[in-house]
Amino acid sequence: MLAIDVQLLQKKFKVQKNREGLAGALRDLFMREYIEVKAVKDISFQIPQGEICGYIGENGAGKSTTIKMLTGILVPTSGRLLVNGYVPFKEREKFVKEIGVVFGQRSQLWWDIGVIESFQLLRKVYKVPEVDFQNRLNELVERLQLGDLLNRPVRKLSLGQRMRCELVASLLHNPSILFLDEPTIGLDIVVKTEIRDFLKQMNREHGTTILLTTHDLQDIEALCSRVIMLDDGKIIYDGGLEQLKANWSKGREVLFQFADHTRLDKLEQLTLGLGVEWTLENDLTAQMWLPHGVNVSDALARVVGAVEIRDIKIFETNTDEIVREIYRSEKVSS
Amino acid sequence: MFYITLFWEYLKNYAKTRLTYRADFWIEVLSDLMFQGMNLIFILIVFQHTESLGGWSQAEVVFVYGYFMIPYGIFACFFNLWGFSERYIVKGEMDRILTRPAHNLFQVLLENMDPPSLIGSLAGAIIMAISWTQLGMGFELTDLLMLTLLVAGSVLIYMGVYTSLTAIAFYSDAPTGILPLMYNIQNYGRYPVGIYNKAIRFVLTWVIPFAFVGVYPASYFLERVQGEEASMALLTPVVGFVFAAIGLMIWNHGVKRYRGAGS
Repeated sequence: MLAIDVQLLQKKFKVQKNREGLAGALRDLFMREYIEVKAVKDISFQIPQGEICGYIGENGAGKSTTIKMLTGILVPTSGRLLVNGYVPFKEREKFVKEIGVVFGQRSQLWWDIGVIESFQLLRKVYKVPEVDFQNRLNELVERLQLGDLLNRPVRKLSLGQRMRCELVASLLHNPSILFLDEPTIGLDIVVKTEIRDFLKQMNREHGTTILLTTHDLQDIEALCSRVIMLDDGKIIYDGGLEQLKANWSKGREVLFQFADHTRLDKLEQLTLGLGVEWTLENDLTAQMWLPHGVNVSDALARVVGAVEIRDIKIFETNTDEIVREIYRSEKVSS
Repeated sequence: MFYITLFWEYLKNYAKTRLTYRADFWIEVLSDLMFQGMNLIFILIVFQHTESLGGWSQAEVVFVYGYFMIPYGIFACFFNLWGFSERYIVKGEMDRILTRPAHNLFQVLLENMDPPSLIGSLAGAIIMAISWTQLGMGFELTDLLMLTLLVAGSVLIYMGVYTSLTAIAFYSDAPTGILPLMYNIQNYGRYPVGIYNKAIRFVLTWVIPFAFVGVYPASYFLERVQGEEASMALLTPVVGFVFAAIGLMIWNHGVKRYRGAGS
């Protein structure tokens, strides 16, 4: 069964146009001009149950707007939208019982009361039976090591602690889909890793479908089997992360440090026919660029025997660079 | 039943957060009572200059004022949404509300509950009881039942009117200044409507029916045969339901237009 089914989803916002200067402001008072902005332009995608899907894009690409439509907060302008078999904004109260939502920038918890009291209140709101609640809470608290935080008020927690509590809050009612809007924003690397591991575990053990937006591509690399990339309200890529890398990355780079002065034409001679490219950085260092089809060991074998080498470094084009490249090329083409 | 449980839970949390600031709590109660006390003094001053106000004696007007305070206190306790636009629309806290399985208006109301206002209701009841004995009216059990019914109707009218007005935040970008205006108009409802001209009387009865939060229902107990007030009293619950329904409709429609904040 599909967890999320989106077809030609669109969201338009009416934005008031402000005219310039005092005269403009006065005219705005009586005759407002609106322009329509399409935040999401006819996107379609399907997410099967149990998948972890990353939703990425630049600021203002329409990520949050999509998530808000998927969670029933916003009403779409047009298009078909089914989440867990519900039309989110129509049967909101029934629908939201089966989903969990975490907005990294906002708190779900009550600021002044102890964390555990917030959880208790949520238990009542979601009508979770006491026994289920206790079991679930124990499991989550143990996983995320929250034991001693539970009695502190939320305002006295650090961001990392709060974020872990937010995750627990969103999972207390055992939702089948979890929506995360920038869940790791502003967190240190330790907490980030912890949260990633936790999410993976939830997905594996409970089959929770997860859709997350992020700017941190390491989140995507650690978690997602699939990436949807959004730009200017349109989907520009939908598929596996490996494939994204294969399609867009240009290859690898190998940096050699030689013992002696080495000439460029000699190096080119050695690797003739492999299709690699050399650039000399200085007398002792050279950079070899390999396209994806070429085996690193083949190329190395040819060089290693012939020249004396002090050091070798291999660079894989990382996802950040790939994504930056894609954003840039989209800007040019559009 | 679900909503009663929720109400209780939210009330407990309110107590936990607020009672830690005890001084704050008492200052609020005190300033509330003083504000109401000023209004009462105003009535007393008026009656030093005149025997009757549109045919109503001082005790009767004070009685109406006592009644007025009861639904008002209940309303102020449950409907504390003066910062709604700022907090829930501009800052986007409505997002959180909308992802929880309870009616969104109900959640917002519970989050902002202000139980100290109920002390105003209590004071109103005391004022009413004192004037009741002064006027020498008999007291029966049915009076208590009627009082409950009429107060419920009056509270619904407040809820309906203010829910509609608060829902404007969904339609217009800027918070409006209409709430203080309304706040002023509702005070008209605690004086006999006979003293106003026809147009104002009509408005207070059918358009913004604040006559039903004070003088109409109160006059049921005063057993005034002459004047239109007493005959209107029984309409209070009906008008209450109609206005609450309208308010809820405008609200529900407004929520669909909610746009969320920023990122």
